[in-house]
Amino acid sequence: MTQQDAHGAAPASATGPVPLRSAHVDAHAGPEERLRRCEAELARIQKDQELLSYGIAHDLRAPLRAIDGFAAMLESGYGEVLDGAGREHLARIRSAAARMGSLIDALRALSQASLAPLRIDRVDASLLFDWSLMELGDAEPGRPVDARVQPGIQVRADERQLKELVDRVLHNAWKFSAGRDVVRIEVEAEEAGDTVRIRVRDHGSGFDPRHAALAFEPFQRMHGPEAGGGHGLGLAIAWRIATRLDGHLAVDTVPGEGTVLHIELPSGDGGDGA
Amino acid sequence: MNTRPILLVEDNPDDVELTRIAFAEAKIANPLHVVGNGEEALDYLFERGRYAGDGHTGQPALVLLDLNMPRMDGREVLQAIRAAPDTRSLPVVVMTTSTEPFDVDACYSLGANSYIRKPVDFEQFMSAVKQVGMYWLVLNQPRPGGP
Repeated sequence: MTQQDAHGAAPASATGPVPLRSAHVDAHAGPEERLRRCEAELARIQKDQELLSYGIAHDLRAPLRAIDGFAAMLESGYGEVLDGAGREHLARIRSAAARMGSLIDALRALSQASLAPLRIDRVDASLLFDWSLMELGDAEPGRPVDARVQPGIQVRADERQLKELVDRVLHNAWKFSAGRDVVRIEVEAEEAGDTVRIRVRDHGSGFDPRHAALAFEPFQRMHGPEAGGGHGLGLAIAWRIATRLDGHLAVDTVPGEGTVLHIELPSGDGGDGA
Repeated sequence: MNTRPILLVEDNPDDVELTRIAFAEAKIANPLHVVGNGEEALDYLFERGRYAGDGHTGQPALVLLDLNMPRMDGREVLQAIRAAPDTRSLPVVVMTTSTEPFDVDACYSLGANSYIRKPVDFEQFMSAVKQVGMYWLVLNQPRPGGP
């Protein structure tokens, strides 16, 4: 890390871009020197990525709020002046703004999954599942839900990142259940040595298991928008977080029957709990 | 309900207009005074610069503060507000796009009363502005004799 970087706590660069120096250009440099240059280069790239992601997350949201806000004002104030087609155009503008908003949030979460500093502690994952289910229910009031979460699942994780993982996994299970009368989700866990294996089972539409290998790649959609498909970042975010928390994510799915997400995380039981 | 003005510190004219609309819809009658940067916010609060002897007296009922602004940003404004005896207990609500943990932490450490993320969705934005107005202008009991 350069001297300027060390002081650049706020996401703004007063020093301007540092020219790219390739770490292996100088054949005379010894291995230690080359390693040092690689590390400096990595730190610089990470800082650039963080600046870009912060900029995307914040500066793109402001114009989006204006687009949605003024479209809403047209809708409420001038809806009667417009004909059906005009009102539909407005509705499309608003729905596109909403999709872009959720895409921006997801891109930020994807970048944070790799870059956010972690605070590892003992976390009650069951509470996070309960909390997240409550939020999903609030977002779609009136939707019948039958959700069961095994209480007391203890893991070692960063609480904020784990909540993000849980949100993304449950959101997926919820969306996959779009065609069902009731959203049925079960969360169970078992200890296996010093890891905990959590299973999140839905009874939704499932998807073609041949695509399972792609499920954790960014922008891979298992479903079109009509079947509740989104931006294709949810499981990619969850996978990155699980990996960074020294865990693992895998998926089993049967078309028409449902999907099971397997989350493996370090156990929070035993040890000193510190 | 007190009728002192609300000071909106915001550099984005679209957000200013949307906030105006939201307050009007919420039937919040306090006049909205808008400044586009931190320096002007402090000039207004401390009655100096172009606000010296302009006839406005006393403190606003509420300050709505954006974080990322040119010249002097929201964090510095907050710091200056809390450092001066006249404005020390003025209600300051940070309204911004950021939910970065370090931004939230910094604002509470500097003495923000509340931290609100501005939603993209207009109905949610309206509801957030209405609730802020309702709480700070109607429900909250300010310190007797002003801040």
